Amino acid sequence: MPKWFTPAALVCGAMFAVSPLIIANAPYESTMGLVQKVFYYHMPSAWMFLLGALVCGFASARYLATRNDRQDRTALAAAELTVLFGLLTLVTGPLWARRAWGTWWVWDPRVTSSLVGWLIACAYLILRKYGGPGSERLAAAVAIFGMANVPFIYISVNYWRTIHPATSVVPTLPVSMGAPLWFCVMTFLLLFIVLMTMRVRLEESKSRLDALHLALDE
Amino acid sequence: MSIVRMLLISALLAAPAAIAAAQQPTQQDEFVPISELPPTEQLPAAPLLVGAYVFVLVALFLYVVSIARRVGAVRQEVDRLEGELKARSRS
Repeated sequence: MPKWFTPAALVCGAMFAVSPLIIANAPYESTMGLVQKVFYYHMPSAWMFLLGALVCGFASARYLATRNDRQDRTALAAAELTVLFGLLTLVTGPLWARRAWGTWWVWDPRVTSSLVGWLIACAYLILRKYGGPGSERLAAAVAIFGMANVPFIYISVNYWRTIHPATSVVPTLPVSMGAPLWFCVMTFLLLFIVLMTMRVRLEESKSRLDALHLALDE
Repeated sequence: MSIVRMLLISALLAAPAAIAAAQQPTQQDEFVPISELPPTEQLPAAPLLVGAYVFVLVALFLYVVSIARRVGAVRQEVDRLEGELKARSRS
């Protein structure tokens, strides 16, 4: 692991430990009250979900262009993180919606496109696991499709009639709500980097293992 | 003329009282059980909030444990094969 890894992991753990205290001190939102505080973990999870899909798509495009295995390993690691953070987003969202909207789920553009994005990432992982030899190229194409879905997820709330809050909410937040949010965003971003490093390292170890198996067979 | 003036004065005097009466909450003539309220008004928020945070933290913890176990298993296998390869090259 790189030298910065352990300090980064410790800082990330400390930030996660402190975050509930910071969120508890944030003011209540006027119409939703206490349940709106799900926002401080929901939105950073959603951003990491989109970041994962973008990293996976870019790395897959570069893999298709260069056939560099390093890019393929990065794409695989990012796809797993996309599934993880997508799951967090898709679970915390309905828990918030149940109280705020009176329903667990609505088939509105933001929620539906997020589910589609998550299913694309799941499809990528299933292809990689069960697709057999050569599946990495097909999976790379799926990842590019998933990346193309990201701008649609982001802007969907601004162009369609939906009950999901618009993207204009974040820039207009008062400091008392914006500071905890950005703290949580930095925490999740650091976590994403730490997990990505671990996951890429795992793929590198697996490729080393494959090389050793081949060397022993010869 | 004086009758019109009197009516205007009395209307002006009565207006604040009428506005105040309109602003008063309506008299409660029945008790509604909480179960009959709309879903958004009867759900307590705390279990949903706590559930969301617990789910995030538990899922992240399990994922970190899963990666650590996988890294450990692969590293162990790499060490074993490297040892085997060394032993074979020596012999």
